[in-house]
Amino acid sequence: MKYLKAGNIRLFWVTTFVYLFLIFNSLQFLQASDSHAAAQGGEIDVAGIMIHHVTDTHDWHFFDLPGEGHYEAISIDLPWLIYDNRTGISFYPTTEDLLHSGKYILEHGKVAAISFEVTSINQLAHHVEEDFKNAGGKNIELDSLYWVNLFAREHYVLVQDHNPNFPPRLYKLDMESTVLDLSLTKTSLQMVLVGFAMILVFISVAGYYTRRKGQGPKGLQSFVEPVIVFIRDQIAIPHLGEKKYARFLPYLLTLFFFIWFSNLFGLTPLNSNIAGNISVTLALAILTFIITLFSASRSFWGHVFWFPGVPLPVKFLMMPVEIVGMFTKPFALTVRLFANIAAGHLMLLALIGLIFILGKGGQSVVGGLSISPLTLAFGLFIYCLEFLVAVVQAYVFTLLTAVFIGQAMADHSHDHAEDHSSTDHALAGGSHH
Amino acid sequence: MLLEAAIGVMGAGIGAGLVAIGAGLGIGNLAGKALESMARQPEASGNIQGAMVLTAAFIEGVALFGEVVCLLAVLAGK
Repeated sequence: MKYLKAGNIRLFWVTTFVYLFLIFNSLQFLQASDSHAAAQGGEIDVAGIMIHHVTDTHDWHFFDLPGEGHYEAISIDLPWLIYDNRTGISFYPTTEDLLHSGKYILEHGKVAAISFEVTSINQLAHHVEEDFKNAGGKNIELDSLYWVNLFAREHYVLVQDHNPNFPPRLYKLDMESTVLDLSLTKTSLQMVLVGFAMILVFISVAGYYTRRKGQGPKGLQSFVEPVIVFIRDQIAIPHLGEKKYARFLPYLLTLFFFIWFSNLFGLTPLNSNIAGNISVTLALAILTFIITLFSASRSFWGHVFWFPGVPLPVKFLMMPVEIVGMFTKPFALTVRLFANIAAGHLMLLALIGLIFILGKGGQSVVGGLSISPLTLAFGLFIYCLEFLVAVVQAYVFTLLTAVFIGQAMADHSHDHAEDHSSTDHALAGGSHH
Repeated sequence: MLLEAAIGVMGAGIGAGLVAIGAGLGIGNLAGKALESMARQPEASGNIQGAMVLTAAFIEGVALFGEVVCLLAVLAGK
């Protein structure tokens, strides 16, 4: 093998590494298909797997292993912490405990408080009639059956598991209680893990600085230090100025490394998806927004509400434009990061799922094999691109945060008085995406 | 599937394709001009490359806004 020369051995290992990761990313498809789909010929629900990867759940599901007659789910079942204004805080270690508690049920994956379980048809009819009368309805007659039906559907819920051992059960929802789900979900746990990784990396790098004062960087320090210096010299100082950048540098560094580590974590076979959840990116954008608001100077607010240097009617027009512009910036930050990461994950899953769709879940070997070269080549390309996207999206989010904070902090008052040309502003404030 | 839902999903598919065309045009233009300027002045390649990657991320962000809208159209039809 001529290419296994000394210089190329690194390329060989990198290629092997990337191929292995691509193969491991198919691990999510090793799972039991839905019982309905299985009856129709063993099709794997690719769209379901894709949606399940992006949405947040209460168990971290890796894959399923075939057992004797059923599939063994390899997952981490996460605890539930529920606040109910009726009963206060309740804690359940697993989903099974929640379902056996008698107080809550899962309706479409969301927890709902129940009053009691209805065990007979007579009991149901009696309760519905009573509730309907209490809610102001007349006695039940045949022509109001539609309204009774609607009412019953709102207040009663049928839970069925498609499990032959557990028949469907009917519950009455507790309408006075509002349930707040505070539990540690899959995405939260993944964020905690990324946080631990960051703590580990940066505390050890900080230790290098205290132990090796004045010496050159070594090991992990020599990898992290150029990145930190890059963020300080290319992002923080140019946009925030020499005097004030140190206040915001910790936030910028945390943002950059959190997004970068989360994206890298999403590229492992552990079925992780942090920045691909819009709630996470919205939270980061709201943090940026709050910091921008609190560091905004007087002239910033002057520009938003009473734009200087333009005729009076235009001043009234500019106010809503500037206010909306204030909100579109964090919105753009949110959607940019979310869409990039989620789309990358979904693309990889869709490409690998194409093998299963064309192979009809294992029935058509030719179908599966025919698409495999395309999937492997394109999937490998997209996978390598995702590493670039991971760092570029972190860089863009951090850069735009620094730019917005810098724009808000900028003090125009001693630059020019009222002869403030609008072209000047169009150049400076032109990042309304 | 109902006709209205089917047309909605079809619209989402066409929209996604159009978004890809837009992104391709934008980033292709950007890459062409960047490569041209790198050929004219090779000493500035580092700066140009950095600016190219950054602005490509912005253009892709706009394209992905459209993708998210198409995805919402598909999921709302379900």
